[in-house]
Amino acid sequence: MRLLHLSLTNFRNFTRLALELPPRGVLLIGANAQGKTNFLEAVYLLATFSSFQTHVERQLIHFLEARKSPAVGRLIGEYQRRDGTHRLELRLILEATAGDGMRLRKEALLDGVKRPLSQIVGHFNAVLFAPHMTQIIEGGPEERRRFLNLTLAQAIPGYATVLSEYVHILEQRNALLKQLAAQAGHVAQLDVWDQELTARGAQLMYWRIQALQEMERLAARVHLELTRGAEVLRLMYRPAYEPLPLPVAQISLPLSTPLDRSHLKVEEIREGFLERLRAMRREELTRGVTLIGPHRDEVRFLANGIDLGDYGSRGQVRTALLSLKLAEMEWMRLRNGEWPVLLLDEVLSELDSQRREDLLARVSTCEQVILTATDASAFPAPFLLQSTLWEVKMGQIYPKNHLAEEKEPG
Amino acid sequence: MLPRPLQNLITALERLPGIGPKTASRLAFYLLREENDLAEALAQALQELKAGIGFCSECFYLTEAGKRLCAICEDERREAGLICVVEEPLDVIAIERSGAYRGRYHVLHGALSPIEGIGPEDLKIAPLLERVRRGGVREVIIATNPNLEGDATALYLSQQLRPLGVHLTRLARGLPMGSDLEYADPNTLMRALAGRQEIESG
Repeated sequence: MRLLHLSLTNFRNFTRLALELPPRGVLLIGANAQGKTNFLEAVYLLATFSSFQTHVERQLIHFLEARKSPAVGRLIGEYQRRDGTHRLELRLILEATAGDGMRLRKEALLDGVKRPLSQIVGHFNAVLFAPHMTQIIEGGPEERRRFLNLTLAQAIPGYATVLSEYVHILEQRNALLKQLAAQAGHVAQLDVWDQELTARGAQLMYWRIQALQEMERLAARVHLELTRGAEVLRLMYRPAYEPLPLPVAQISLPLSTPLDRSHLKVEEIREGFLERLRAMRREELTRGVTLIGPHRDEVRFLANGIDLGDYGSRGQVRTALLSLKLAEMEWMRLRNGEWPVLLLDEVLSELDSQRREDLLARVSTCEQVILTATDASAFPAPFLLQSTLWEVKMGQIYPKNHLAEEKEPG
Repeated sequence: MLPRPLQNLITALERLPGIGPKTASRLAFYLLREENDLAEALAQALQELKAGIGFCSECFYLTEAGKRLCAICEDERREAGLICVVEEPLDVIAIERSGAYRGRYHVLHGALSPIEGIGPEDLKIAPLLERVRRGGVREVIIATNPNLEGDATALYLSQQLRPLGVHLTRLARGLPMGSDLEYADPNTLMRALAGRQEIESG
């Protein structure tokens, strides 16, 4: 997959930008706060409709435009897939709500036709790698669920739709639990929401089991190579509802015990999940909230049996993230039949020279990679020769005349 | 800033669905300037709306105030043993427009939604169960909306109705007439596939 053209209007610090993108490598060079990361964010938004930089999404719109009401930001990407060229337009609309608040609404048009976001997420694919993403390994479990959702939604048709239905049902169920906790009411109603919740929840778990198993295989192989055979990396799925029948005595298994859940069918997971919810009903009624399900799932990263989230050194975590991101990229190719566009934000400065070479060698097999850096000196000459250099300055992008000035003398 | 009667009207209009502050102001100023007694006519129509409309005591569809039954429940030619359960009065109109249904209705006046505080006791579910218990009903068609709340309501109804031994059906979900398969959204297609039917031999 390859991005051919990108145009941005009132997005972040870009008031107006329209660019043709070359194949292979694009290197964006610029000082801090000029818009390099915003450019990657725009590309990533077209793949996931979700920002990796902020939870305050109204900041996505250029600050001058954002003073208007309604304010509109616009991203248009044209890209080449195996099945042809497509045009995806994402509109970010900031408008007043019935109260006093402002909210950001997103609209997406695929080839000129407006579609629900959850239906066309993943039509364009991108994998993003940024230094702060070590949070996937070291941060809270919500970081890992977010990683899973953003990745799986891009490659599993239906994942985004089922996830959004699950979240909606979860809100309804939690509201009901809260009401039932406050005053006695129709507990029979809960059966209905249990049915709806477990139908979607089991489907999500089934997809996560399959995807994590596939991704682990890829990540382990990459990691073994990156660490020159020193570390075995494992991705351990720890679902909040464990679908495997475990003897009671072993409920707290040692973390490193591998569990194979890949033979489970959706219907089996669902039945067990439903049964478990019923068993927990009294506790849930006391607490007024749904205690198990994919919204509480966890994934742990283990190197040679050691949990990297708790005990990993900085270097170990960085290398594991690199393995994970390369695996994510390969997994998407496996699932979608073509490479995603790879986005690397200031990644090379964080890696030692050996890892840099490993990374650049692997990404050069990709169809297209867009990188950012404050200067080109970290990149080896052969890589620079194959790539297009652009300078990012105050929300504008200029072609950068080649290497001569970049290379250190001698 | 604005005189109170005008401000009151704007605030009231804003509470209508689909109307924001700007539209509300525009409508209010229009009514203020308008010279053909539109404001009076509107005020009268609004007052008669609440006073003149009641609900059918059998199916809770709309009827003129003071009447016990709606036109559909009064119509002897309509099959009393067949009840179609819908969320809103507008759904009755939609099904009537099809001309394909000759039974009676039951309007729930909403769907289950704990977030909005709507539970079974807020819907006309108990009267429906009562209707079925009275006997003479051979089939209940559940025609709630094909969304999460509609599904939950349908599931709840089926749990409540099943012990009464009545034949339960649900509207089929499928592809809209006159559309192209290639433009159908995946969700609809998935459901249409799951609900595929045998081709009847002619």
